[in-house]
Amino acid sequence: MTFELFNRTFFIATDVLLAYIALIGTGLGVLYLVNRANKWSVIKDYVTTTHHRKIGVLYLLSATLFFLRAGIEALIIRTQLAVPENDFWVFQGDKFNEAFTTHGTIMIFFVAMPLLIGLMNVAVPLQIGAQDMAFPYMNALSFWLFLAGAILVNMSFFMTASPNAGWTAYAPLSTAEFTPEAGNDYYIFGLQVSGVGTILAAINMIVTIVRHRAPGMKMTRMPLFAWSTLVTAFLILIAFPVLTIALYILMFDRLFGTSFFSGEAGSPIYWQHLFWIFGHPEVYIIVIPAFGIFSDVISTFSKKRVFGYTSMVVAIVIIGLLGFMVWVHHMFTVGLGPVVNTVFAITTMLIAVPTGIKIFNWLFTMRKGVIHLGTPMLFAAGFIPTFVIGGVTGVMLAVAAADFQFHDTYFVVAHFHYTMVGGTVLGAFAGIYYWFPKMFGFKLKDGLGKAHFWLFLIGFHITFFPQHFAGLNGMPRRVYTYTAEDNIFIFNFISTIGAFMMGIGTLFFVWNIYKSFKNPDRCGNDPWNGRTLEWSVPSPAPEHPFDPMPQVTTIDPLWEAKRNRGGKLPVANTSRSAPIDVTSWQPVGFSGLIMLFSLSFIYHVTWLQIVLGIMVLAFFALRTLTDEHTKMAREGEDHDNI
Amino acid sequence: MKKIKWLVASLFIFLTGCNLRVLDPKSETARDQSFLIQFSFALMMIVFAIVIILFVWFLSKYRENDQNKDYIPADEKGSPWLEITWTVIPFILLAILAVPTVSITFEQSAQVESTPANAVQIEVTGQQFSWTFSYQNGVETVNNLRLPVDRPVEFTLRSEDIIHSFWIPKLGGKKDLIPGKTRRMIVTPEETGTYQGKCAEFCGREHTKMRFTTTVMEESEYEQWLQEMKEKIE
Amino acid sequence: MTTYKSDRFGDKQLGFALYLIGELIMFATLFATYFLFTPSAINPTPSETFELRTVVITSICLLSSSATIHYAEKAFEKGKEKGVWIGLISTLILATAFMGFEIHEFYKYASEGYTLTENLFLSSFYILVGLHAAHVLFGIGWMALLCYHYPRIPNAIYGQKQKIFTYYWHFVDVIWVFIITFVYGPYLF
Ligand code: HEM
Ligand SMILES: [Cu+2]
Ligand SMILES: [Cu+2]
Repeated sequence: MTFELFNRTFFIATDVLLAYIALIGTGLGVLYLVNRANKWSVIKDYVTTTHHRKIGVLYLLSATLFFLRAGIEALIIRTQLAVPENDFWVFQGDKFNEAFTTHGTIMIFFVAMPLLIGLMNVAVPLQIGAQDMAFPYMNALSFWLFLAGAILVNMSFFMTASPNAGWTAYAPLSTAEFTPEAGNDYYIFGLQVSGVGTILAAINMIVTIVRHRAPGMKMTRMPLFAWSTLVTAFLILIAFPVLTIALYILMFDRLFGTSFFSGEAGSPIYWQHLFWIFGHPEVYIIVIPAFGIFSDVISTFSKKRVFGYTSMVVAIVIIGLLGFMVWVHHMFTVGLGPVVNTVFAITTMLIAVPTGIKIFNWLFTMRKGVIHLGTPMLFAAGFIPTFVIGGVTGVMLAVAAADFQFHDTYFVVAHFHYTMVGGTVLGAFAGIYYWFPKMFGFKLKDGLGKAHFWLFLIGFHITFFPQHFAGLNGMPRRVYTYTAEDNIFIFNFISTIGAFMMGIGTLFFVWNIYKSFKNPDRCGNDPWNGRTLEWSVPSPAPEHPFDPMPQVTTIDPLWEAKRNRGGKLPVANTSRSAPIDVTSWQPVGFSGLIMLFSLSFIYHVTWLQIVLGIMVLAFFALRTLTDEHTKMAREGEDHDNI
Repeated sequence: MKKIKWLVASLFIFLTGCNLRVLDPKSETARDQSFLIQFSFALMMIVFAIVIILFVWFLSKYRENDQNKDYIPADEKGSPWLEITWTVIPFILLAILAVPTVSITFEQSAQVESTPANAVQIEVTGQQFSWTFSYQNGVETVNNLRLPVDRPVEFTLRSEDIIHSFWIPKLGGKKDLIPGKTRRMIVTPEETGTYQGKCAEFCGREHTKMRFTTTVMEESEYEQWLQEMKEKIE
Repeated sequence: MTTYKSDRFGDKQLGFALYLIGELIMFATLFATYFLFTPSAINPTPSETFELRTVVITSICLLSSSATIHYAEKAFEKGKEKGVWIGLISTLILATAFMGFEIHEFYKYASEGYTLTENLFLSSFYILVGLHAAHVLFGIGWMALLCYHYPRIPNAIYGQKQKIFTYYWHFVDVIWVFIITFVYGPYLF
């Protein structure tokens, strides 16, 4: 759209214009509502908090917002693909490429990751008897860095410079020679900044789990969600630094004129190796926590302890280890030779074994139990067949020679949505319905939850099942249209219908949250007849929830207490000092600074880079000068002298 | 009207599951791949069926109802025998799958090392966003590939700019074109006809349009066509 | 009250160790990049670029600074205030000298035409050694803050801060040892 202003003609794409209007409109609406309800103090409370539950809520809230955005993009993609040779709005060519790139990038990094990290924040400390995360201040910093990165990637669209090289950013397409616009710089800096936040979050999780368990909470008694968090945190700690460096090198290629990934001497394949050495563990990073959630939910709602606890733990550890040895299955068609291809084909197939163990253990947890199909359990039940479909297509993709056909087609698109939506997203929904009472003190409505579940699950299968056939009939992924002769119209058309059904399902979820806040059904500590420690503390979980500290003597300690001790956990005497909770503007301020710093690189403003660089360094000084440990020690010193 | 015809036609495909290009091979390479797909699918259906049966069975039998809702089930820790069973059986299934996987993957890669003597040589160059094919006698075509039937063809794949991927679903799987590198691929089309070809690696704005048609023709026709084309340039 | 060996300090030690694992992986990836692209198909080669003299001088500075920081650490444990100062200040001086020589080295290479974009050997050299230099620079700032803290904050807390710093500093040193061995070494000796 073009318009005249001050005698000059401006051009703005209508989709961007509309997005601006929508954003500003809702922004003002929210401001108005907050002001009217006089909730500024709540906002301030959340922005400056370092408490794990509130940070968890922040993660979940932002993930939901980004889910809506990337979901709208999915609907746009599906609308454009609904019929052959379609010309929907502006979404052909680059606009379409931008849509699937940001859809994929946001869904993985700013939806799947924060949904799970958010749930970890809410639940893990409570599950293991910790008073808070080990480093509350750093926890806040992790969140705000994640958000800064997410905002960078999200704002690119508003600056009419969305990344457009796919979420995998394959070089040389992603180098400045072929995509000179700022889009892929937003990608680099957005992922870099949020990646640092994620690494810090992983460190925090590991230290919390290793050092802050309640007395008697041995590793062998930990709930499986805590276990999967621990394994995931290690995967993050090892995989994300590789991404950090991959992006660091790509940044040099794009901004400082090197040519690692392109040109005569450069190696585009090296980018693929680096990306997938990170990328494959990444897909386990986003599915293993979901496994943990399902284990806890299935056991609670079947009123039985999880079947084969030890093999469940061993299985996730093995999946984590094997996850680092399979990355070439994304590169079978690159031409690395039959030896490499078959070795990686076999390691990939091997992952099916521990995954299978988990599936059967879940089934046998349900056997001989009493299965209550509450909303969280519905999601868990929907997960099993869905994920198994994703799993078996995964094994089919591992067959290297067959993958020559499958690779980069809609068959793959179907496969990874079956695992990521069927695993991660259903898992996150299960977790949200399950732990919602611990966050706010009331449940989400069951009826709306069921409507959400059925619409979403049926819509999901309608969307993605036909895509297997589209792929087998020769439809490559990342194309914005196809011809009638391609004979894939029907698959795409059905798929589009399903996508809208999923969209409606998601609206039910949002509606459910609104309704539940509007007239909350308050519930007590233990709305699900829970088995683990988090259900022994008040809802919503207070600061310093474990007072007195329980003594854990078995797996599922609360269940045991309910059976044998009238619901009272034995009390431990411990003198472990709790993490120090503070309120501080520093994390959000620092992240804002980092965001500006990134922008100064994206737009090549050298003086600003220097100024902001110095300010970033100065922040570290500020942090150590205002350190809460020093303050505590100062206050404590007088007592010592007495 | 035409749309409806296509709709009915593809609905039919949907229901029968056959005729999908990848499963309708016109060369040995593609046939082997199609076999692998069907074989792995069959094996995996065994697993899938078992899971679904257990799932439906347990879920219906042990679902909460008025009789059992206050009943507290006995805790069971697990069962070594069962756990060993569902560790070992998948191993066996995967071992069965691994054999043809390895052999066919090797076979399809080894072919390239030993070019058959009577092979037709075609140089394929990918660039944003089209395909150039050069034939042995110097003829070049764009987005239009012609092959003789029943003779091995050796494609030499190169890229002018960024990564593309050369794919003719009915004749075989894809192979990436990496800038600065040369890749080779050998297939023997076994049936005359016109097949779709596509770029399978996202390569920028008009990646969607980076398609070509492959016409497999009788050898005599092919030679004649080459001759005509050559005369045209001269 | 937080003591020298308190629970919270244990958390920090573990957390920082984990952080260093992450850093180690980053550097490992950069080393891999260097191996992959060195020597490059086009000149200059590493042997004509590197200069033994600066490498020896920088190494002496940095490696001996590990000893001086260790000295500060021991002095702190024995409660010798002067020893801490000597250790800290001399580490600071050595680190600054290292930075000086390194900047000089980069400057010299650049003025001889061996710049970042010349070929992939130089690119991977600069992004690896440059990142290490950034770590040293950060360490210098950190030490300056320690000097500021020492007379001002409770001793127990200072000890913790210094201890975490020593981990960092030894780590930076170990990376340097790898750099001498794998980046410079094969082309100098
Ligand atoms: C809400 C329903 C969703 C729909 C309808 C949908 C639809 C699609 C479609 C059609 C594509 C293919 C674009 C193309 O290749 O041209 C795609 C790509 C992708 N989707 Fe989704 N998606 C949904 C949810 C998700 C979720 C929840 C995730 C991850 C957690 C996800 C991750 C991805 C990724 C990583 C890609 C690849 C992007 C790329 O090719 O660079 N999607 N999605
Ligand atoms: Cu993978
Ligand atoms: Cu392409």
